[in-house]
Amino acid sequence: MERALPTQQKDAEATGELNGLFDAMMRKPGGRPGQAPPTSSSSSCSVTESWREVRTRSVEDNEMSLPSLATAYTSILRGLGEDPQRQGLLKTPRRAATAMQFFTKGYQEKIIDVMNDAIFDEDHDEMVIVKDIDMFSMCEHHLVPIFGRVHIGYLPDKRVLGLSKLARIVEIYSRRLQVQERLTKQIAVAITEALKPAGVGVVIEATHMCMVMRGVQKMNSKTVTSTMLGVFREDPKTRDEFLTLIRG
Amino acid sequence: MNGHSNGKISNTVEDYNRNEKKCFGDLAVEMKKSAVICEQEFSRKKTEDESRLPAIEAAYSIILRELGEDTDRQGLLRTPLRAAKAMQFLTKGYHENVNDILNDAIFDEDHDEMVIVKDIDMFSLCEHHLVPFFGKVHIGYLPNQKVVGLSKLARIVEIFSRRLQVQERLTKQIATAVSEALQPKGVAVVIEAAHMCMVMRGVQKINTRTVTSTMLGLCREDPKTREEFLSLTMR
Repeated sequence: MERALPTQQKDAEATGELNGLFDAMMRKPGGRPGQAPPTSSSSSCSVTESWREVRTRSVEDNEMSLPSLATAYTSILRGLGEDPQRQGLLKTPRRAATAMQFFTKGYQEKIIDVMNDAIFDEDHDEMVIVKDIDMFSMCEHHLVPIFGRVHIGYLPDKRVLGLSKLARIVEIYSRRLQVQERLTKQIAVAITEALKPAGVGVVIEATHMCMVMRGVQKMNSKTVTSTMLGVFREDPKTRDEFLTLIRG
Repeated sequence: MNGHSNGKISNTVEDYNRNEKKCFGDLAVEMKKSAVICEQEFSRKKTEDESRLPAIEAAYSIILRELGEDTDRQGLLRTPLRAAKAMQFLTKGYHENVNDILNDAIFDEDHDEMVIVKDIDMFSLCEHHLVPFFGKVHIGYLPNQKVVGLSKLARIVEIFSRRLQVQERLTKQIATAVSEALQPKGVAVVIEAAHMCMVMRGVQKINTRTVTSTMLGLCREDPKTREEFLSLTMR
């Protein structure tokens, strides 16, 4: 969700370390919880969201929106020249609506819910990498799938995260209408805010169906984006180590 | 000239005029007329598409709103239009006709060995979830004195796959189209595809592939023919 949401107070120690990323977020004009969110012009100055943001959708919302979603899909079927009454399409509007809600279930989830319990104090200061995390997202421009792999690495600063939680962070942010660049950054920032590590690196390699199935129709093209924060950005050797380990 | 000419090439136009009781010039006009009709039909379908676009666009706006998104944010401003056009492109097979693309490219050829075009990339939409499925199509046929231009097989795949489909039906439609156009001794079509409705949601099995096949004529009746096709296509 790309509305500019209110940020919480940040620890002072967090601000200086990550190339002003947190500073930029703190300076973002925002209200306090309960106020109306800022206009979209002010939200454009912050690409990322706080990991403590509120959910914009609930399971009850899903139930309530299902009928209008199904109606919208019925009119799409009719608009394409199909017969919504034929046997194969009878329950398609409802199935497509439920499927779309599943593809955007990241709006129902909060990082803080998946992460809070699984942060452990551990005297480990070597790189931790979880790679080849399968990722499925939806292109926000064409509403067509994007899929690929995410590789995450971080240098802990006395705190480590349960490994599956990295994959869960990927799930939360990828199950939304996304742009690959933003997705990469959101994952990196979420890990940074949660763990305050010495550095984070995220690389995503994905295939965009909007380029493969339509438009320019290049079957084998892949898009690669990366976000490097902290020592991953400042120290070329650390970055090199990360990139070598994810390649192998 | 492969025995096709009797040396009277220069009389062709006169022969035509005599036999058909038409002027050769009429033929040219007829051909131009049918080209114009084709063009008119194409532009009629294009106009139809354009007239239906607003309704589909409005439906997508509703969908975005109901999913909890902010339709005024920059990235989503033109998404309903883009998604509507994308959907029309992905279902353009409804407008297309096998005869239109095949009619010119059937040739008499004295060849009775199997002809296979394999690894044809295929992208379609699951009619149950409106989510893509994609994979490869392998087509083989045993000609009966008539062969078809090779790219036309890929075009037949395009026509039937750019629709709301079920993989089983798609396989059969391709096989039937080739069979009706060429009347060959046998046709075999195999499709191997990944279904995003199974990969991205539901049971979420990433590496599964669905394989369907349709065998007609000799490819169905004769196990050796079938085996030859399968060993040449399935590595």
